[in-house]
Amino acid sequence: MEASVTGIGWVTGRGLGWGRQGGDCEFCDLPLPTLSRKDVFPEPNQRFGRMSDYSKLGLAALTFALRDAGLEAWSARRAIGVVAATRLGCLATDLDYHRTVLLQGGGLASPNLFAYTLANCFLGDAAIQFGLTGSSVAINEADEGAGAVRIALEDLALGDADTMLAGVCDLPVPEGYQGRLALLPGAAFLVLTASPVAPHESYGSVTLTDGGSLLFNGAPFGSLPGLVRLALARRQAG
Amino acid sequence: MREVCITAAQTVTGLGPDLESLWRGVLAGESAIRPLERFDTGRYLSKDASWIEGLDCRNGRSGIYPLLERLLVGFGPVPGDAALITASTKGCVDVMEALSGGCAGDPAELPMARLSAWICGRFGLASPGININAACASSTIAVARAASLIAAGRSDAVLVVCMDLVSEFVFSGFSALQALSPDVCRPFDRNRNGLTLGEGAAALLLLSRDRARRERRPELGLVAGWGAANDATHITAPARDGCGLIQSVRQALDRAAVRPEQIAAISAHGTATPYNDQMELTAFGALFGPRPVPLHSVKGSIGHTLGAAGGIEVALGLKCLENRLLPGTVGLLEPEEAGAGFVSRTAQPIAGSYLLSTNSGFGGVNAALVLSRGEG
Repeated sequence: MEASVTGIGWVTGRGLGWGRQGGDCEFCDLPLPTLSRKDVFPEPNQRFGRMSDYSKLGLAALTFALRDAGLEAWSARRAIGVVAATRLGCLATDLDYHRTVLLQGGGLASPNLFAYTLANCFLGDAAIQFGLTGSSVAINEADEGAGAVRIALEDLALGDADTMLAGVCDLPVPEGYQGRLALLPGAAFLVLTASPVAPHESYGSVTLTDGGSLLFNGAPFGSLPGLVRLALARRQAG
Repeated sequence: MREVCITAAQTVTGLGPDLESLWRGVLAGESAIRPLERFDTGRYLSKDASWIEGLDCRNGRSGIYPLLERLLVGFGPVPGDAALITASTKGCVDVMEALSGGCAGDPAELPMARLSAWICGRFGLASPGININAACASSTIAVARAASLIAAGRSDAVLVVCMDLVSEFVFSGFSALQALSPDVCRPFDRNRNGLTLGEGAAALLLLSRDRARRERRPELGLVAGWGAANDATHITAPARDGCGLIQSVRQALDRAAVRPEQIAAISAHGTATPYNDQMELTAFGALFGPRPVPLHSVKGSIGHTLGAAGGIEVALGLKCLENRLLPGTVGLLEPEEAGAGFVSRTAQPIAGSYLLSTNSGFGGVNAALVLSRGEG
């Protein structure tokens, strides 16, 4: 099964951006940028300010990927699906929320924070913002997003959608937990489409072989950040 | 596309340590919902849940492990080449609570990958596994994912394991959202006033039908169709017109090549919140018209088990198809107007071979499965 990569967006410690804007997506140990609404949406957005940091991070990268693919604007809902891989999910939000539970025997628990203690909730925000009615799931895996790419390709092959977003999203490990948990924080999303596209609209093609290997233009990759690097390198070479 | 068969199913719920006790309890109209003793509920809307003894977090070890041990003892055999898909919304949330409260615990227990690795190790599976987190439709989507892997020939066998605990973390959150019923929940009742939480787990082994026959495994039922869609409407509330659920069910029916009139029974999400149940009745009305399709919710018996709900309901759905009987809905007193003729306090016969199982959740997720009777 094969699909074209038509959009790439990211937020990492090196900055935020999307493929055709230029720049590189480099996951690193630097602090993530503090995201404001203006960094992501040119127009006012009532929901963004209320979101958790995890949701802002994921939604921003997803927005940039759609923008890069020319799919940000919409008038009718679209059966586009989303698969987001995450190691720790909304652990940081969980801890923030739990601090409100510890106050007064739970009597001051925050309903707004609780609504963001599910790793898939930012996908709901994305669905509302961009009219995405396909399946939307968060997955936890050990492979840094390779599973998300696999699932997206499988859904495309089954005809569940013509276009899928696959991504990774993780905040830094919460303070005090760094000794036992490690990851490079950030978010990146790719737009994958099964429909034929003009060469200038595509970064290249992703293939899931019968044996389960993932290839970008024939070159193997083992993680979603690895796929993003390959795709952006092809842009620069072209 | 290859046929997808469920060859083994097991549950642990408030009604008992296995699927048989769940089936017997539900048929008898029993409820495991009772006052919670795991934490102080003094400041919350509800005092009750369907909970299981002995699942407390002890010395930093999550209660999810004893839950899984009870679930998986005697389960199998599971082929070594089976892929693993787990479904849980909060996994070892009790360890997070302990750490956050200054108690003993290891942060390395928190990533879901740890739980997947534990299950893989227990069965000697080569696949590292993934966890599906799609709120209260997590395990429905996990079963759909497993079925699609097998149907497409990408895997011959998939083990699905679904689990979630009753924790103060989640209990307080639903209370803060005003979503908990102060009484035992009453799915599809005219006077329903919120959900009751539950905990539990389910394990399902899915094989290609060819392999199931080759290995002479029991065919408990087939996963004939599946679908998933987002409402794209609200983060915590369902779309009032049921658009996402309707889209999910239509996708599942199309994949199963089944007409709406062939659906003989519905295992609904039926959380007993005013909005969820109304949304479901609206969607089923749009899909099935005035024809009354027997419908039930198990939440009045075992509470809302969150990420485990869909898996437990699939296991129960197989028993329903085997026995051609849909249990009554515990907690129901006076059906919601749109549910009259669909939902019942007493068991209803199933006159057909297909059962629809649906779940919906936060983030606008909806998922549907069409199950059909097995032949052995």
